[in-house]
Amino acid sequence: MHKRALGAAAVTGVAALALSACGGSSPTTPSNTGGAGTSKAAATTTGTPETPSGTAAPVRDANVDLVIWTDADRSKAVQKYADQFASENGITVKVQIATDTRTQFKDATKVGKGPDVIVGAHDWLGELVQNSTVAPVNLSADVAAKFLPTAIAATKFNGQSYGVPYAVENIGLMYNKDLVPNPPKTMDELVATGEKLVKEGKAKQVMSQFVSKVGNAYFAYPYLAAFPDGGIFATKGNGDYDPNKLLVNSAGSVKGGEVLAALGKQKVLSTNVDDTNQDAIFDSKAAPFMISGPWSVAKAKAAGINYGIAPLPSLAGGGAMKPFLGVQMFYVSSKAKNAALAQEFVTNYIPRKDVQLALFEVGKRPPALKEAYDEVSATDPDVKAWYEAGVDGKPMPNIPAMNSVWGPFGQATADIISGKAGAKERLDAAAKEIAANIAKG
Amino acid sequence: MTKPIALAIKWVLIVATLAGILWIAAKLAAAGNVTAVVVAGLVGMGVLAVYATRRAVPLKYLVPGLIFMALFQLFPVLYTANLSLTNYGDGHLNTKEESISDIIAQSVREVPNTPRYKMSVATKEGDSADTGDLVLLLTKPDGSTFVGDKSGLKPLGAAGIEKTPVGKITKAPGYTILNARQVNARKELQKLAVPTSDGGGVKPVGLSEAFEGKSTVTYDAKADRLTDSSTQPPTVYEPRDARWVSTKDATQSFPQGWKENIGFSNYTRILTDDTIRSGFIKIFIWNVVFAVVSVLSTFLLGMLIALLFNDPRLRGKGIYRSLLILPYALPGFVTALVWKGMFNQDYGIINQTLGLGIDWLGTDFGAKAAILITNLWLGFPYMFIVCTGALQSIPQDVREAATIDGANAFRTLRSIIMPLLLVAVGPLLLASFAFNFNNFGLIYLLTKGGPFNGADTSIGSSDLLITYAYRLAFSGTAPNYGFAAAVSVVIFLLVALMSIPGFRRTKALEEVN
Repeated sequence: MHKRALGAAAVTGVAALALSACGGSSPTTPSNTGGAGTSKAAATTTGTPETPSGTAAPVRDANVDLVIWTDADRSKAVQKYADQFASENGITVKVQIATDTRTQFKDATKVGKGPDVIVGAHDWLGELVQNSTVAPVNLSADVAAKFLPTAIAATKFNGQSYGVPYAVENIGLMYNKDLVPNPPKTMDELVATGEKLVKEGKAKQVMSQFVSKVGNAYFAYPYLAAFPDGGIFATKGNGDYDPNKLLVNSAGSVKGGEVLAALGKQKVLSTNVDDTNQDAIFDSKAAPFMISGPWSVAKAKAAGINYGIAPLPSLAGGGAMKPFLGVQMFYVSSKAKNAALAQEFVTNYIPRKDVQLALFEVGKRPPALKEAYDEVSATDPDVKAWYEAGVDGKPMPNIPAMNSVWGPFGQATADIISGKAGAKERLDAAAKEIAANIAKG
Repeated sequence: MTKPIALAIKWVLIVATLAGILWIAAKLAAAGNVTAVVVAGLVGMGVLAVYATRRAVPLKYLVPGLIFMALFQLFPVLYTANLSLTNYGDGHLNTKEESISDIIAQSVREVPNTPRYKMSVATKEGDSADTGDLVLLLTKPDGSTFVGDKSGLKPLGAAGIEKTPVGKITKAPGYTILNARQVNARKELQKLAVPTSDGGGVKPVGLSEAFEGKSTVTYDAKADRLTDSSTQPPTVYEPRDARWVSTKDATQSFPQGWKENIGFSNYTRILTDDTIRSGFIKIFIWNVVFAVVSVLSTFLLGMLIALLFNDPRLRGKGIYRSLLILPYALPGFVTALVWKGMFNQDYGIINQTLGLGIDWLGTDFGAKAAILITNLWLGFPYMFIVCTGALQSIPQDVREAATIDGANAFRTLRSIIMPLLLVAVGPLLLASFAFNFNNFGLIYLLTKGGPFNGADTSIGSSDLLITYAYRLAFSGTAPNYGFAAAVSVVIFLLVALMSIPGFRRTKALEEVN
């Protein structure tokens, strides 16, 4: 028995290794942004961003004066200005690529190995503050005034400001100009146009929008926000979202939910469309309309689609659909080993026009600095269109309670779209679940 | 090998191990973990005692295994069990002291209508840049200059001062201005505030700016209360459930809480919360069904194909065999995602070719069927390989003997081949069961545990215990590691209980030999 049991244990281990080898490789290894040979040289003042192996968190280099974590896309632009900052101040800076900055930053900071500066989205803020991982960044009033007011508002939590924004993103209506010369102003018009195209055989379905089986709160929210007091959280006097005032099942939200149900019934929205096929449906001309964001543009361009970007349509009985705004920003770690340099870099470099323009080039999101936005939008109609699609939008809630909303609210909208449940009862139930989760958290 | 060489190798290995332990101990000491350093020291002494002497020969074989077992099995289990007695999770990662200092530090607001200063950090001339008292050389927007230190703000004469175009002082008689690296090295700069007459302080931002800020929250250590004076009247917060909660309005609290021991609350929650309890039983049943059906289906298919290809009359076996191993050779990640696409109700190839309208991933039954089908595809090549190997090791004369005794093909399979096959494959089936019991990747990639029914997004109908625990710990609503640890401990106990009969069964199989 003894020998056999040991053998079985060994086999278990080997089998587990063998089986997991199927899943061990990572599909999202970031593309190397520089020659492997030169990335070692990044320890000195200039160089290429350091790429991690696989999806592991980058390892902080203890010998440099400033460590910045960013995603692969932005790393090159950040590196360029980090180098400039380094030579200006006679220090060394290292830019490292993190594949999942949010979690990796939290974990690394907890054990004292986090970076000094991270690049991330504004809706991480509540969680970061809750865990005491970010420090206030005190921009002077005249510098703050150079940014779009919504972008600055998004960097605040409880009245304190925590970073410097560089881009604003939101969803809008993308349409195929070959099929639809002028974008529809209302959802009814959109559906009528789409259904006509389907009847004529020029398209297979009216619209492509990320819904998925578990729902997507980010994409469903605009339908609710089109109605008065529809949405997720009410706001406090100081503009912060109030976790104790849920709007999920308000009269306005229910009206929005009924629109979702109707569109689900008409097959305009479907839980079978998700992140894996949303772009493909639009790019293969199966649908003349798609509700998506700037991240979909590159693919549409590559597919040769003659696309246009318009604000989201308005809903009958309500107003225009209002998207969430996502603001991209630079944070300073509260446990930064080089707090003075980190603050200096973030407050002095990120508000510069050339830096904002360089970051625009890699992400194509409208810059948060007014001056940079004006320059870009004069020549790039897409940027102007995205910005206009987001004019009425509100920043995504950055309070920790929002973590309790994504799942239940998303699922509720998916169930309403698929017809599993009625709008009113399902949103009531979701509100109850969300409130219970917030109370527990 | 001669004895002296063996001895030399032995000592080199012992010294290398001890050096390794010393290195680990040094790291642990640097991290300030005294207990761990002591444990590392004891392990080092143990290694020396076991391998340098002849006293304990059996231990020489067991020690490496024991060390690794303690490190990779016992420690995680104990750590998880320990964690399950706390409220560790988002908002409860730090200590109470940290939450107090953090709340106070974050409450600093710029005092309205105060100027922004241009700033240079300096020391008095003659003082060391590394240790000398820090002073801030400040320039108001109107160009007047000041010097600030711990005692307060004083005007600085304009004589001999040099400034950059924006007003940052680059030279001042009597002071040595620090460069960027020197400033950065002075960590106490972040705590420095030059006191001003209105109770605020001039605080640096980075290297070249300063603002006048005031903290609105104060801590009263005696009463253990935080007071926020930014509201009218000031709000008082008291510690409650590891959080600072307003004494007047229980819905108002600071987001920063702290970690504390909460005893067995997480376990009582598993037992008393209705959704969790009923969900737990539902998940557990599906988990067992999933593991059993996965093992049986992959084994049966794998074995049948192996039997087929073991027939000497079949030609081109090499090609077939290589083709059959392909699903196993492709990364499971990719395969699972491809299957997810194929199961799509509207766009998936399965519904399209078969003319079905099944909502595979949106209904309970469909999702479970989809998972089992995908797992069959992923798992049968492994069983096929294993069975092929085992079948080839069954001697041909045993079969011939059976044929001579008059057994037909089925009888031979049932009474001769299967028992012999199971001796070899039995432990692998157990291993496969254990693997599938915790087959996180498949579920996560295919359905994420869904579909979720009713108004409950914490428990999905295709969830395994492991995906459920993962959702609790790392995604969904506020991550709660403590509670997820408690669930993990329960899963651990369940799996351990279920393995006991499993290992008994292996013993029974062994007796066939």
